[in-house]
Amino acid sequence: MSKTGIEVEGTVVECLRNATFRVELANGHRVLAHISGKIRRNYIKIVPFDRVLVELSPYDLDRGRILYRYRN
Amino acid sequence: MSTSRRVTTLDSLCVTRVSRSCWHALDDDRVIGRGEVSQRPDGRSFLSIDVWRDDAFGRLAEAMLPALPKPLYTVVDEGDAELTSHWRAAGFSVRRREWECLIPTAPAKPSGLAVISPEVEPLAELDRVIRAEVEASVGWHEMPAELLGPGVVDPSKYAVATKSGRYIGLIRVTQVQRLPRIGLIAVRADERRRGVARALLGHALGSLHDRGIDTASAELNESNTAAVALFDGFGARRVGSNLELVLR
Repeated sequence: MSKTGIEVEGTVVECLRNATFRVELANGHRVLAHISGKIRRNYIKIVPFDRVLVELSPYDLDRGRILYRYRN
Repeated sequence: MSTSRRVTTLDSLCVTRVSRSCWHALDDDRVIGRGEVSQRPDGRSFLSIDVWRDDAFGRLAEAMLPALPKPLYTVVDEGDAELTSHWRAAGFSVRRREWECLIPTAPAKPSGLAVISPEVEPLAELDRVIRAEVEASVGWHEMPAELLGPGVVDPSKYAVATKSGRYIGLIRVTQVQRLPRIGLIAVRADERRRGVARALLGHALGSLHDRGIDTASAELNESNTAAVALFDGFGARRVGSNLELVLR
């Protein structure tokens, strides 16, 4: 079975330019995250304080992709 | 039946179709890209491609596009120049632009129209009428994608304008606890150009203001000049834009 990226929960702390967000993970580490195409396709909006599921980049653990927005 | 099929193999990167709607780009058996397709309620197919390495985008597009019936659509944030250029390189072009706007709330001014919380049945009937009118004119594909299909109407998210007891227009406000979002304003065709939409929007912004909320959000189709003028009149500020791209 193919290996997929690590998925972790976090909280959006800042909306940045270029569709990028700063997300604080449960362990306090902060990553820069884009939104996934699935979220974009479904016009789901991300705002600060949203709880989200982030997939971390296999190449850079400071980068991630928001896969899911939890209902607060 | 297994749907897994390896369709591209070059150096260490390969692309595999893992289901009818999903492709993976693999590098040494690690998933470094994912492409998906899904259908909107209006029947259009929307794609997305997410990659951790730039070269995987083109590989996924090469595998996916020939396997799918056209036209194909996708949505990008216009500020994401890199992603937009990837889609353009794959042959996609801009079909339409939606502005993301923030609108300041303010106390509602008297409009002369009654705006009330709706009852389920007449609201559902108004929703059906308006959807039919939209479909017969510009088509539902010009409307916000977030809107659910017909028959799913939650009255708590709506306010309606009435005339002699008849529902003539509606406004839908969602996510009030996060960043309130004006999801839809619509007026019956025979009641347009009489200030109904202005009254509805003024009422919604006034209600939010009364609850201590100072900002609402909305997406505006750039080509919908009436909607753009309406929101501009309430001080809407453009803060971003999404492009809907198409490959025909």
